[in-house]
Amino acid sequence: MMAVMTRWWAVAVWFAAASAALASGSLSAQDGDALGQVTYERWCAGCHGLDGTGDGPGAGYMLPRPRDFTQALYQIRTTASGDLPTDDDILAIIDRGMPGTTMPGWEALLSNDEREALVQYLKTFSRFFSADEIPQPLEFSRATRSNADVLAEGERLFREVADCAACHGDGGRGDGESSPALVDDGDFPIPAADLTENWLFNGGGEAEDIYRRLLTGLDGTPMPSLADVITAGVITDEQLWAIAHYVRSLSPDNPPGITEVVRGVLFEDAPLPSSVDDEAWDEIEGAYLPLAGQIIVMPRWFHPRVDGVWVQAAHDGETVAVRVSWSDPNNSPDPEWADWKSQVIALMQPKEGDPPDEGPTPDQLVVQFPMQMPEGMERPFFLRGDNRRPVYIWQWQSDRDGALEGEARGIGTEAFLSGGQDLTVDASHADGQWQVMFTRPLVTEDENDLDFVIGEAIPMALFAWDGDNGESGTRGAVSSWYFLFLEEATPATVFVAPALAMILTAALGFLVVGRAQKRERQSGKIKSETPNS
Amino acid sequence: MGKYLKHPLGQAGVVLFLAYLLFDFGIAYIPPLFGIASAPIPNSVLLQYLITVSVGILIWVSDNEARWAEFKEPMHRVMVDPDLKTARNSLMVLIPILVALMTFSQVRPTVAAPTTLRSIHPAPPGRIDFQGTTLELGSLQNPLRSRGSMEEHYEEGKRVYYENCIACHGDGLDGQGHYAHAFSPVPVSFQDIGTIAQLTESYVFWRVAKGGPGLPNEGAPWNSAMPAWEDFLTQDEIWSVIIFLYEQAGHEPRTFEEEGGEGEVE
Ligand code: HEC
Ligand code: HEC
Ligand code: HEC
Repeated sequence: MMAVMTRWWAVAVWFAAASAALASGSLSAQDGDALGQVTYERWCAGCHGLDGTGDGPGAGYMLPRPRDFTQALYQIRTTASGDLPTDDDILAIIDRGMPGTTMPGWEALLSNDEREALVQYLKTFSRFFSADEIPQPLEFSRATRSNADVLAEGERLFREVADCAACHGDGGRGDGESSPALVDDGDFPIPAADLTENWLFNGGGEAEDIYRRLLTGLDGTPMPSLADVITAGVITDEQLWAIAHYVRSLSPDNPPGITEVVRGVLFEDAPLPSSVDDEAWDEIEGAYLPLAGQIIVMPRWFHPRVDGVWVQAAHDGETVAVRVSWSDPNNSPDPEWADWKSQVIALMQPKEGDPPDEGPTPDQLVVQFPMQMPEGMERPFFLRGDNRRPVYIWQWQSDRDGALEGEARGIGTEAFLSGGQDLTVDASHADGQWQVMFTRPLVTEDENDLDFVIGEAIPMALFAWDGDNGESGTRGAVSSWYFLFLEEATPATVFVAPALAMILTAALGFLVVGRAQKRERQSGKIKSETPNS
Repeated sequence: MGKYLKHPLGQAGVVLFLAYLLFDFGIAYIPPLFGIASAPIPNSVLLQYLITVSVGILIWVSDNEARWAEFKEPMHRVMVDPDLKTARNSLMVLIPILVALMTFSQVRPTVAAPTTLRSIHPAPPGRIDFQGTTLELGSLQNPLRSRGSMEEHYEEGKRVYYENCIACHGDGLDGQGHYAHAFSPVPVSFQDIGTIAQLTESYVFWRVAKGGPGLPNEGAPWNSAMPAWEDFLTQDEIWSVIIFLYEQAGHEPRTFEEEGGEGEVE
């Protein structure tokens, strides 16, 4: 019934638009508005609000908040800082969305006409757009080539000249000294982007995209434009490219794909890494596991700081070592971030449960396994187990030495062993990154823990909290089940089948060729030849 | 070049190669050009297809005596011609090595996740307990469809959806919310005709109310991130979000008369 009503409406609108177009000979902007309005109200108003002020019903559950279109502030433009975007700029953002935020891309869901009509409709929310002034895109130079010298120059400019490190930090992880105090034009706290995760850049992660953002700035955010610095002659356009190439080099060449399995590399002869910054870790491939806000049980958390962790693992047949690394600008609790914390809590306070902890809260990490290796496909509920199937957990937090082993049968039921700990931990925080290494014997005396098996996929899940982002308890980041697979030594028997296959094929080859030649000789065509001499 | 293409062995090779291109890449990339969703086929299926094509080719070449003889001739020559001794000897070394490598890649220990077979739409229970009342799923109807204004139910459902569901199912209802990639199984796309379009509203009510934890074992409840919304929402809120889902995705719910078996394996 409802469907029929809306469809009727759309048909009526179209009919009116089409007849108007016929009458005037062309579609005027106003007719596009009707389609723009219908599409907007259906797909965008839930976040951006019916009146475009960014206060739709979904708005309170996200940071950055949906854009208020009445301000006409657009981050991703090809125009100079302070200028309005071109129509193509707005269309490009609607098509691609803004990675790293809740703003989705619409290219696959909406037709060309709908998306173009949306561009015109968005502009009607603000009086800054006018028909006489058409914004002009900047001229962008062609990309320069990147090499080691360019990257070194880029790094120097990043740290010393262009002052990027003041916000983004020396390693680019968003831990610069100004970062706790950054707010956007709407007075909302805004993190300086983590430059090691270019797949989450709002405007695209390639050097060309970065170069453009540096020239145009991200209007409405503290991220400045470098156009003035270039005009003033402090840096050249070529140097700007060097910065862009350097920033690009902070992220992996390709965005990490989804890996289900973390490989626990077998150390047969070499000793296992002995500390969190042991160089042996550099040789071990890491798997990136994405994390999401815990929005499954009450009270929920829609604004986790940690959006993914890198996990590496190794074992030597006796002991397993797991290192988890993730970006977090500070070691909580840190008084410098107290303001940030209370702002985030005030903005993201969900409507359920007790208010989050206002007292000092540490950063935390939990690595979770089933208590017993599952038989068949059954396993505990990924969110801290359930009554029937408990989980076994490793828990580390930044304000306590050591790590705890424990068990849980559902979130909030964690119980930790008081003595007889078999788990050791080594953690370090540097340049906006936590690295935490756990080691434990594969097999222990203890009944209440998991005995790690080699050569089988062991379910594993991870949970992380940034205390100074207002996170504790159920308010944090979660993952679903992944697997830890401790490599076996390649058994010698593995080579038997290939060797057999090789011998059989070779023998068959001899036979066939030999017979063919014999027949040929009998028919007298060739004199004599052995198959393989 | 032309000479080789006129030869049946050359033609067979070309056909096989084109078939390979079509199966390995064409199936994945051509339909999207016309707006139809597609995905690459698994290697085992690819192998089957190629074997079928090879059999077809063999039937075609052996159908005609002369062609068959011509087809075999180069292979025969390699085996017997004294001038081709080097080619023959290298092939007799290379082929067994290739076979050995292929076997090795089959038997080598691999690091892989166990496959989970999961029934996407397992049979629902006969009745459920919802916040203290018992609901008979077999005869449960959406009460909002015969009460009040649909416009208002839709708006209410929209509010519920944007406050609770977009992070996973996406505001496009395409299962592409900004948290979706962190969960496995991935949140359902309601745009897909394999989901709510083939379910009754009472079934959807059960799935929303009881979430992942309410699934029977064949649905692998331990993996599902779908929350049990009975902990957050009232009965009317759930019914209104269901109205919103169908309306926004442009599907009609299934009715009890046309309902068959709702069971399917992923
Ligand atoms: C799930 C909520 C959500 C929905 C639905 C949504 N947006 Fe957004 N949108 C956002 C958020 C959040 C931002 C701000 C991101 C930021 O500031 O980094 C944004 C920003 C934008 C911007 C500003 C881009 C820039 O360069 O700064 C445009 C334009 C936009 N949205 C258009 C749309 C249109 C058109 C639709 C509907 C087809 C839509 N949005 C639907 C959440 C949403
Ligand atoms: C005053 C603080 C500040 C300074 C100085 C600063 N940035 Fe930023 N930068 C930010 C903030 C805040 C954001 C996040 C904007 C957002 O999320 O919308 C950001 C975002 C970015 C992004 C991501 C763009 C995107 O598409 O999302 C890049 C790349 C970047 N900055 C590079 C730089 C470089 C290079 C410099 C030095 C030339 C620099 N920044 C200087 C605060 C700063
Ligand atoms: C934390 C992520 C998450 C949130 C939030 C979420 N879902 Fe889900 N949902 C899932 C996942 C994952 C599945 C697929 C697994 C399953 O069937 O349990 C799913 C499945 C479903 C299904 C079953 C569809 C089918 O074809 O069987 C329905 C209906 C559904 N969700 C509705 C909703 C509604 C309505 C909301 C908001 C009130 C919501 N979901 C919120 C993750 C989520």
